[in-house]
Amino acid sequence: MILLEPHNTIIVTTLNDKLLKPATLDVQFVDYDGVRFHLSTPDRKVANIIHLSMNIRCWNELVRYGANEVLQREYGSLILDAPEADYNVTLQLDLEQIPQDQESRDAFIMSIALFKRNALAAPFERAFETQKELESSSSTSEGDLMEIHYRDEEAIYIRAAADRVTVIFSTQFKEETDRIFGKVFLQEFVDARRQPSCQNAPQVLYNNREPPLELRHLSGLQNTEDTGYVTFVLFPRHFGNATTAGGTISHIQLFRDYLHYHIKCSKAYMHSRMRHRVAEFQKVLNRAKTEVATTDRKTASGRTMLVR
Amino acid sequence: MSVLAPIICDNGTGYSKIGFAGNSDPSFVFPTAIATRGQAAQASRAGPQIPSKPGHLASKRGVEDLDFFIGDEALANAKTPGYGVHYPIRHGMIENWDHMERYWEQTIFKYLRAEPEDHYFLLTEPPLNPPENREQTAEIFFESFNIKGLYIAVQAVLALAASWSSNRVTDRTLTGTVIDSGDGVTHVIPCAEGYVIGSAIKHIPIAGRDISQFVLNLLRERGEMAAVPPEDQLRVAGKVKENYSYVCQDIVKEFRKYDAEPYKYFERFEGEHSVTNRKYGIDVGYERFLAPEIFFNPEIYSSDFLTPLPEIVDDVIQQSPIDVRRGLYKNIVLSGGSTMFQHFGQRLKRDLKQLVDRRLDTGTGAQKSSGVEVDVISHKRQRYAVWYGGSLMASLPDFYSFCHTKEQYDEIGPSICRRYQIFGSAT
Repeated sequence: MILLEPHNTIIVTTLNDKLLKPATLDVQFVDYDGVRFHLSTPDRKVANIIHLSMNIRCWNELVRYGANEVLQREYGSLILDAPEADYNVTLQLDLEQIPQDQESRDAFIMSIALFKRNALAAPFERAFETQKELESSSSTSEGDLMEIHYRDEEAIYIRAAADRVTVIFSTQFKEETDRIFGKVFLQEFVDARRQPSCQNAPQVLYNNREPPLELRHLSGLQNTEDTGYVTFVLFPRHFGNATTAGGTISHIQLFRDYLHYHIKCSKAYMHSRMRHRVAEFQKVLNRAKTEVATTDRKTASGRTMLVR
Repeated sequence: MSVLAPIICDNGTGYSKIGFAGNSDPSFVFPTAIATRGQAAQASRAGPQIPSKPGHLASKRGVEDLDFFIGDEALANAKTPGYGVHYPIRHGMIENWDHMERYWEQTIFKYLRAEPEDHYFLLTEPPLNPPENREQTAEIFFESFNIKGLYIAVQAVLALAASWSSNRVTDRTLTGTVIDSGDGVTHVIPCAEGYVIGSAIKHIPIAGRDISQFVLNLLRERGEMAAVPPEDQLRVAGKVKENYSYVCQDIVKEFRKYDAEPYKYFERFEGEHSVTNRKYGIDVGYERFLAPEIFFNPEIYSSDFLTPLPEIVDDVIQQSPIDVRRGLYKNIVLSGGSTMFQHFGQRLKRDLKQLVDRRLDTGTGAQKSSGVEVDVISHKRQRYAVWYGGSLMASLPDFYSFCHTKEQYDEIGPSICRRYQIFGSAT
């Protein structure tokens, strides 16, 4: 698995289970970046009405950038007016209303599983639209800088310009090793783009500690050794038609998790190399052991005497 | 941020049970299997892939170490050329750390979709797990995954905790005998105040797989299996075991009952061939009560192992220190899928009570024993008892104080995980 999947597996498996065998349920689970889900049947007697609630830390910011409209477009009447207490938004599903044939049923469940992705897609979609407007009016001004504080100390910044959309991730590494791995990994991103096969990929810039020029004016930026900024420059070809735009959004919003996943994978790889190396060295050491000469000691009657 | 629920990860020999604390069922139950590139048998001997050609990193090494599947997907890919399936856990203990590390990696990132840095983890280990294994586990979790905190609990103790959900349990003790019967082997484990009495543990080589095989033998002998395609037979036997079996109180009476009124007691099982969709049906009869009977009369299945379960349980308790025996008899807890048969607990209780009473009666001397209370506790969460116990424990507010945190680990090193404070010792 190289790329992380945009959908939530627990939602898919649970809904599929419940379609086969309706029963009351009440489960809480999470998704990346501290998103909490609650899947429940609010009325114990009606097993086919299921509520799916989601709590996102940066919900207020997302609403400002049009998350409600995006969710309204994706889920329409499924959204409840009053979300469940402690959660930001609630969907109400009726198992009996779910399409019967396998294909549309799978599509429906997948769309539910993309709940978080769709909510986070709003600022990106808005940026893409702004870019189009700016391009058609051929102005040199830039769109507003959108800030999404999706984790405690990390944020995504999106800004549209006439010819591009800039997405900046600020990252924070908790551990020294991770920081180094991350640095190498992000350097590789920059290097890999030089290969002819990756020419069409968005441009990636990485700066450590120093925020990129676009963000200099912001206050409250962390300026420590473990902070890094990754800048993606998306050109219109990356979000020209709806499918590419969708794909771009799905991938880019998981970038931080992707980065951390790969740091962990690299560590696992290093560990397996280390284990292998240790085993090899141990073999060498074992070969180097001197053999202790054992001589049989016999008693007078000819029996072997053993030292206990 | 501690509002995110701790992750409970119960990796068993056969299946892994994984989910978030506070729920009543694990979010995922899938085989502890990993399908990697390369031969199934010797992949570990050759070591991991090494970079072949120089250049910058991206071209230096491929992504072979990311090319693997776990769980159900691993088994589905077992026949794909180039993949080999491995089972990193043998007899409850982790054998292949490379595979296990990658197994966890995918569990967390693909299935749970959790950022490990934001979560506490509760892992389980079998009784008598060497402390070195704990250290290895802690190393992987703290150093690869940077988790916030870790607690490693003994499975038997969690199974005891799970029994607190039964309304028959009035005092929440961690003293009791756990009968843990999964697919491969059955363990009888005595626990005193949350500590496992390692010297008294006993294993029984009869578990789920044997019961299925026994049902299959019985059905074949009666000629019922003729209608069933050979590749489906074991699966059908498994279904019969799960859906129709129960424990009877007296075999002879049960046989008479069935002979007198076969229509009332015989059940019909309908199946469908997975490829040809041809329908078939079999009559399920004496198997219904004979299947779980192999725990109580093992001689009906095989002559390799002849001691009935109640006798083993009695032996285990008799080998435990004398001051905890009363507690062990009073709180016998069932855990695992093969203890799910109806009336299993009642039968075990009755047989064990008879054994104990007989011994008390033969005792001579001036003082007469006041009797020993024997009780077997069945509850609704038996199937995933260990996981459920973990979920219960981890949703307590003081769970976090029992965990070793990343800071403590960085300060002291992996040896910190050799010891864990017993849960609920204060409650």
